[in-house]
Order: sequence, then structure tokens, then C-alpha cells
Amino acid sequence: MEKKKKGMTLANKQLAAGWLFLTPATILIFIMSFYPIIQAFITSLKTGKGVNMAFANPLNYNYTRMLQDNIFMTSMKNTFLYLIIQVPIMLILAILLAQLLNNKDLKFKGIFRTCIFLPCATSLVSYSLIFKSMFATQGLINSVLMKIGLISENVNWLGTPATAKAVIIIALIWRWTGYNMVFYLAGLQNIEYSVYEAAKIDGANGWETFWSITVPLLKPTIVMTAIMSINGTLQLFDESMNLTSGGPANSTITMSHYIYNQAFGKGVGALGYTSAMSFLVFILVGILAFISLKVGDTRD
Amino acid sequence: MKRKLLSLMLVGTMAASMVACGGASSTDNASGEGADGAATAAVQSDDENTLTVYAWDENFNIPALQAAEKDYQEVNPDFHLEIITQSQSSDVESAVTLAAEAGDYSTLPDIVLFQDHYIQQYVTNYPDAWQDVDDADCDWDGLGAEKLSYSTVNGKHYGFPVDAGTAIFAYRTDLLEEAGYTMDDVTGITWDEFDKIGVDVYNKTGKYLLCMDGDGNDLFYMMLQAEGASQFKDGEPYFTENEKLVEIFNVVVKLAQDNVLYLANDWSDYTDQAIQGDMVAGVYNGNWIIPTIEQVKDNAGKWEITTAPTLTGAEGYASNGGSSLYITANCKKTDLAKDFLAYTFGGRSAEDGQSITYDEALTNGGVIGTCAAAAESDVYQQGVEFFNDQPIYADIVEYTQHVPTVEQSDYHYSAREQLATALQDVLTNGEDVEAALANAEQQLRFEMELD
Repeated sequence: MEKKKKGMTLANKQLAAGWLFLTPATILIFIMSFYPIIQAFITSLKTGKGVNMAFANPLNYNYTRMLQDNIFMTSMKNTFLYLIIQVPIMLILAILLAQLLNNKDLKFKGIFRTCIFLPCATSLVSYSLIFKSMFATQGLINSVLMKIGLISENVNWLGTPATAKAVIIIALIWRWTGYNMVFYLAGLQNIEYSVYEAAKIDGANGWETFWSITVPLLKPTIVMTAIMSINGTLQLFDESMNLTSGGPANSTITMSHYIYNQAFGKGVGALGYTSAMSFLVFILVGILAFISLKVGDTRD
Repeated sequence: MKRKLLSLMLVGTMAASMVACGGASSTDNASGEGADGAATAAVQSDDENTLTVYAWDENFNIPALQAAEKDYQEVNPDFHLEIITQSQSSDVESAVTLAAEAGDYSTLPDIVLFQDHYIQQYVTNYPDAWQDVDDADCDWDGLGAEKLSYSTVNGKHYGFPVDAGTAIFAYRTDLLEEAGYTMDDVTGITWDEFDKIGVDVYNKTGKYLLCMDGDGNDLFYMMLQAEGASQFKDGEPYFTENEKLVEIFNVVVKLAQDNVLYLANDWSDYTDQAIQGDMVAGVYNGNWIIPTIEQVKDNAGKWEITTAPTLTGAEGYASNGGSSLYITANCKKTDLAKDFLAYTFGGRSAEDGQSITYDEALTNGGVIGTCAAAAESDVYQQGVEFFNDQPIYADIVEYTQHVPTVEQSDYHYSAREQLATALQDVLTNGEDVEAALANAEQQLRFEMELD
């Protein structure tokens, strides 16, 4: 070893050092991520349970089966509904809040920032359970609305498909807006104040500065948060599982929740089929990430 | 361009790793099992007189197992039963699934307590995980034929019954009285008559005469069994062609629309809000629901139990839930395990009319067995204060003898879910009953890979 190293040029030495540092992480990622992915793909080509598991005939049986599965289609529709409604609302709210909190003259900035970020510090399961009890038929929301006379009898928020979906979206917005706001705040720090000053001198009002300066300069951050949100929403599980248990009648179930149900939740144990569905989610995430990257990138 | 490629790759790996974390839950759970390794080291004991068992309820089935240990020590003083507590029944199911999928049964204890409705599926899927107990020395005929129909697969006995899932219909007598009815008025009636009484009760007291978890809706199964019918015929779903099922489905729809039936959003809504939140005047479920009813101390003495209504007006007997004990493939002391289970839950110790196992299981855990011989003991004959001094245990054992055996299926819970979904579709989306049932049947056939 010693001799070999002595014979290396400086550039080679640096290269070797680089590989040396990369190796542990690479090996770990391979064992913990890529190897299971490959195994999952092999499993996705199989049918049967336990000892009876064998390669499907035809091989793409699980993949074609998916398309005929009404509940999986429902779960996909639900997930995309959450995605289309929740992500834009959340990102717009986050950017507006970040803009407000970036105001130089604002007092108690730290307190406000903490308050808005605080939801992110709560565990997904516990906040889901709190929302569940708040929106229960005899829960806080119903009592408050009754007291101020907005409703005349208790609304079964989680028992009606439309309101149950709305509750999930509200819960998601509450939980994740602060998280995204932090990225925007960080992005805003990198915009020189002089740029705003120049705009002001040119006579631009707040709205114009926001659209012509803040948004374009924040674009990389917006793209990143969009990708993360899309990715997170497609894999939504905790809220569906804990808040509504996918009900009523599967009207709020998400793809990941359905995958879990088919694998473990209801004692079904269809691991081949669920692996196939997981791969579809994987492909969807890839496609959507690619699209948002294309839309967001204007460098060439 | 280079930068773009780089960022694309970055996003790709990010997405890939995230999906790997979220999607491939099989790997997550496999490693979770590895973490249990410390605990699984103790799932087997070297001592030749010690058996290990998984059970999940410290207030219910664990006292029953302790009673069995004490009982068996009378014939084998060195015997020791090591009870490993699981937090819920699904933990036992997951443990078996994982051991079987990994092909390594060494993580399992000698004996597991297992839910009746799941065992058929698990014996079919993982035949290697179990040891049959067909040659055990006990009187199978005395254990309740309906109960044993769950633990018998391909004509072979696999399990010993612990608690009967015999269904009870509990009513609040004070609320019935307020509406002008007695317990006799609700015993041996048709569902139509029940509906009328329910409407009166709701109008006078504001309480529902029946409630159920709308998500895991057991009503259809119980109501059908009371008619001697099943959701399955020759291993296939039997919905739209099944006149009784269609009729019962319509009854349930009507009950819900008339404010006679309260459909809770989920299990906790059912137990905490509906039953313990005092929203209801009646509860229909397996007798394991009794401890939940008894949580409301203020209502002591106001409840009584009886049989369920049926379509014809005959008294309805059904069963829901319950569990049995099974010997896993990992058990090396099979003879000891078989003898222990046959002596205790198999009823050999009850041959003289009294069994420590069944008596103490009842007094300490409220577990009502299916062994006919054990039910003759004094403990079973006592009146229960909470139920207006009615001897409910003796009554439940009496009901158990009448429960008709109906066709069971590996897909019991899938059928339950599809029917619950169909009901929600009719009630909230105004869908046609026939269409909803046809859709449910088709969906179940899909899940069973019949089409």
C-alpha cells in the first residue's frame, strides 16, 4: 500500500481520497436502498403468498391487474386530488408568510417564525389523532361552530366523503406550510435588499416587486419545495391511516395506505401485488419530479 | 447542461431513496423484526417443562392463560407457561406473516393466540407455520361445533378455542321503558318490528337502538349467520344472488335512514363515542364487547342481554370474533403443548363439571369459553350486577349451543369491507342497492383473483 501511494500523482491521490470517502456511504446506500429496490422489483413479478409465491404467468400479471383494480384507481384519484388542491395552496401560503416575516420592521419576528414552524415539530401520528378528535362528531370544531351559530346540528366531518377529504387537506396545510416557509425565508435572505431599493426608486409597488423580483429570484427554491411536496403527497400515508382510516368507504384512502392494507393491514399479505403498486408510485414520482424540473428550469 | 444533468440525477436518487423508504415496507418490517431479535431470543425456552405463548390482552385472554397454567400444574407440577404480551392481536398476525415470508420460523413462540377469522387464511397461505392437533387427547364434540369450524382446516383440527365470539344483543332497559317497551318486546321479533321500536326509542329518548362501526361493519355477517346463511357459497362471494343477504342489506339501510342504527366512523368512535358516550340504547356484537359496555359505571344495572331479531321473528344466534390457541412450527415440545392445551382449553379438566381454566378465565378475565361441560360450574350460573343480576354467562353459553355453522372463508374481512363500502355508497352517495352490491361482489371477486 505504502509503495503504491508514493507512486501516485497528486491528482490521483486526491481522486483516491475522494473515492475513499465516498465508499462507505455508497456501500450503505447500495445495501439499504438499491438492493431492496431490486429485490422489490423481483417480488413485484411474483404472485401467491408465503411458501406458494412463484413467478406470475404472464410476468406482468401484477402490473396489468393494477389497472383493473377499482380501489387502487380510487386511491390514485384521491392522492392526485390532494396533490392538485393542497400543494398550490400550501406553497402560496408559505411564500406569502415568508414575505411577511421577512419584513425588516416587523417586531417579534422570532416568535412568529417559531409559531408557524412549530407544527412541523409534531409527530405525524399525534397531529393526525389530534385533528381526528377535533373533527369528531362530538369534537371541538362542532362545538365551536354550534356555539357561534354557524351550524344547527353536529356535522359528521370524517364520516362524509367530501368533508373528510377537506379535513385531510386542511390538516396537511397546517402541518407542512411552516416547513416550506423556512425554505422560502432562507431563499429571501439571499436576495440583496438593494434590488428592492432600486425597484422602489423606479416606482414599483409591493405587488409588482413581489412578482418581478421575489418570485423569479426564488425560483430554484420554489422548484425544490414543489418537488418535495409532490413527492411527499404521492407517498401520503399517516394522515389517511390515522385521521380517517381511509374511510368512509375508501373515499379518502391514499396509494401508500392501500398498498399497506394489501400487504399487512388486513392480513391479505399480497406482497407481489403491493411491490408492483409501489413501483408505479416510484415511476409517478419520477415523472412528476422531471416535469417540475423542466417547468422550473429556464437556464438554457 | 452539465449542471442540469447533475441536478436531475440528484432528484432521481432522492426520489428513488424516498420511494425505497416509503414504498418497500417489506424491507422496513424485515429490519423491524431484526430489532426484535433481542426479544425473540427468549421466544423459546430450553427447559423441557416450559412453553411460550403470544397473547395480547392483559384484561382478557392473558388471565385465561394464567388460569390454564395453574390448572395444568395440578397434573404436571413442574410445568411453566411463559406468556409474552403483545400490544394487539395484529402483532401476532404480523409476527407469523414475517416469519413465514422470511422462511425462518425460529422467531415464533411455541403457541400463539390467534383470531378466528384470520386463521383459515393463515393456514392456507403458510401451511408450514402450523402443526395440526388432530390427535390431541380431548373431546372435540364438547367444544362447540360452530367455534371449531374456524380452527378446522381441510378436516384437521389446528386450534383449541379460548373465548366464544357468541353474539349478544344488549339493551338499556330504562330507555326501552321510557319508550314503553320491555325486554320481552325486543326478544324474538322481526327486523321490521325492531325498526318500529327503534323509531319510538329515538323519538322519545334521542338514543339509537343499535350501533356499529361503519368502517369494519360486522352487522351483515352476524345478521346473516343468525339466518343460517353466509356471504360465501362454495368458496365464492355470494351477494347479489343471495336473497337473504339482499334483504338484510335493505334492512340495514332502512335502520340507518330511520335513525335506529348509528354508524360510527371507526372503531374508537364506536367504543368511545357511541357506546361509552351514551349515544345508544342497544349494542349487538360478540360478547367480548361486554367489558366496553361495563366501562360506564353510571349505567350499572340498566343493561340486559337477549338474542337478536331475525327476518322471520325467530330468535337470532350468531357469533363474531373470538380467538383460539395454535401450535406453531417452531414448537419442539409438541407432545407437551398438545397435552397442556387438550387438558385445559380442550376441556379434559372440565370432565368433572368444574375446571380451574374456565372458571378463573371467567372470573379474572371475563372470558366465556365454549366448553359445554365447564359451563355447569357455579361461576357461570351467577347473576351479574351490571346486567341487572341476569346470569349472562350461562345465557351466553346457552346461545352458543344454538349458533348455526355457516361457510367460512379466507376472505372474511375483505367481504366485510366490501359490504361496508357498499352500505356507505348507498347511504352517502345515494347509490342504488342492487348496483352497490353488484359492485361490491365484483370487487371481492377481483381481490380473490376469481376473474
